[in-house]
Amino acid sequence: MEMQDSADIAISNLVHQYNGKTVLDIHCLSFTRGSIYAVLGHNGSGKTTLLAILGLLLKPTAGKVFFEGKDIYRHSSSIAAFRSKMSTVIQNPLLFDTTVENNIAYGLKIRGIPRAARKRRVQDCLQLVGLEGFEKRKAKELSGGETQRIAIARALAIKPQVLFLDEFAANVDEQTIALLEEVIKRVNRTDRSTIFLVTHDTHQAYRLADEVINLFQGRVVRSSLENLFKGTIENADNLPPVFDTGRMKMEVVSGKRGSAYAAIDPRDIIVSDSPLRSSARNSFYGIVSTIFDNGTSVRLRITAGEEMTVKMTKKSLSEMNLTVGSKVYLTFKSSAVEVF
Amino acid sequence: MLSSFQKNFPAKARPYNDTGETRVDYLLQAFITALKLIISLDTDVIQCTMVSLKISCSAVLLATIVGIPLSFLIALNEFTGKRALITFFNTMMALPTVVVGLFVFSAISRQGPLGVFGLLFTPTAMLIGQFILATPIIIALSISAIRGVDPRIRVTALSLGARSHQVVMTLILEARFAMMAAIIAGFGRIIGEVGSAMMLGGNIRGYTRSITTAIALETSKGEFSLGLALGIILLTVALSVNIVLRSLQQQNT
Repeated sequence: MEMQDSADIAISNLVHQYNGKTVLDIHCLSFTRGSIYAVLGHNGSGKTTLLAILGLLLKPTAGKVFFEGKDIYRHSSSIAAFRSKMSTVIQNPLLFDTTVENNIAYGLKIRGIPRAARKRRVQDCLQLVGLEGFEKRKAKELSGGETQRIAIARALAIKPQVLFLDEFAANVDEQTIALLEEVIKRVNRTDRSTIFLVTHDTHQAYRLADEVINLFQGRVVRSSLENLFKGTIENADNLPPVFDTGRMKMEVVSGKRGSAYAAIDPRDIIVSDSPLRSSARNSFYGIVSTIFDNGTSVRLRITAGEEMTVKMTKKSLSEMNLTVGSKVYLTFKSSAVEVF
Repeated sequence: MLSSFQKNFPAKARPYNDTGETRVDYLLQAFITALKLIISLDTDVIQCTMVSLKISCSAVLLATIVGIPLSFLIALNEFTGKRALITFFNTMMALPTVVVGLFVFSAISRQGPLGVFGLLFTPTAMLIGQFILATPIIIALSISAIRGVDPRIRVTALSLGARSHQVVMTLILEARFAMMAAIIAGFGRIIGEVGSAMMLGGNIRGYTRSITTAIALETSKGEFSLGLALGIILLTVALSVNIVLRSLQQQNT
């Protein structure tokens, strides 16, 4: 695989197995320094495994991992040196059984940073996560949300070149999530840290990330998994193959037959207030059920047999005068349906 | 020659019973005499205590230096025979002290393979016996302490850039209470043991006579007060070690 010059991290022909079962199988991916990536996927899709491999906490069964252009496992003696430029906040993080200050200073202490500098950095990090004055608190006595914030402060203390956050918003209240999202954006902006977020919250992923990686059963899929359906592909003689979810039938372009999954990227679906005359083979009538504000764009949930998500600009939304309950038509090409 | 105890307290603690004292009086009298012995810093009492403390502290220190790293090696690595090894150390925890005494005796006696070193009836011989007794306890209990540490600790330490030895230090810190308990259990096992100390040390006054061997000897001689005094000291040592370690644990929290 050719690595892009600007790529900070890359993987190629990556396979990871647990007890002989393949949980991750990725041909190639590369990540640019200073970007925010979100890894989206359902439970068991391999998100956490991918994060552990990228964070050099888990050696893949096969394949290569590159960091700053170097093949990590060809220089296995220096893995610790590569790893020291990264930090990971694992899902359901654990604080060491000591004070908050000692927890945040952990990474600095093992890097031999002098005491005074450690103290200053601890103060800065506590301020960043909005927990000033928590230095002397015992870690075991903190609430779930406070633990999450301290774990993030601890990971940020070393000013990592790459930061991995696994489900950082799990078990945290809305207010804390908003605060942590701000922290992530600020750190990305000021320190140029590359940030990886593992999440199953689609909206959070699109709100924060420059790029979203969709994982499905250990593989990277092109389409967002917001419109993911399970069904069967039928193929009558001389007719294009049809994917049937039980509630919806759509034409697809695929050689696959029988049980399959299909995903349609929300950006590939055209929303109109009347049926479109076009070359697109799939058109459905639906009713808008929810509208999510995503900053510059909006995401609409539309009931059209199945619940479907579409993405459009705020301008389009206001021009079409769409509200919850509006009747719309959804149109997409058969080639827009990714079958796997 | 009379011992200092016999000189200072000639008759009071001697076994009765033609004086009309009751058994309770006798016990009370023995207890008071024991306290007086301790307070007056009786030479025999001090010597026995020092021998016990020196040998047991050295043995537990050595057992800790050997046992803790070994317990990490065993707990953190997967290898064939790991379970059998853990079972072996668990079994060794219940090893009778006289059996250890017997094995070490046979190894260091004149005819034994290590006879040339002339170790029999020396503090070193006692130390070897106590080391053999304490090490399996420290290893077995430390292994369970390390395995009891949340597996996320290791990943967290690694993810924050810790090298292997720093990960181990972090695990020790996290398991410190259980590790302390392992070391205290090891110390408890040897400070109070009499079998191997008697067989390997020979109970030589002022040289290898420890608290426990002195208690055994004095009681058999009928010097109940001295035995009781040493018993009180033994309990006080055990209590003090626990108090000191507990306060250390609290300071570190």
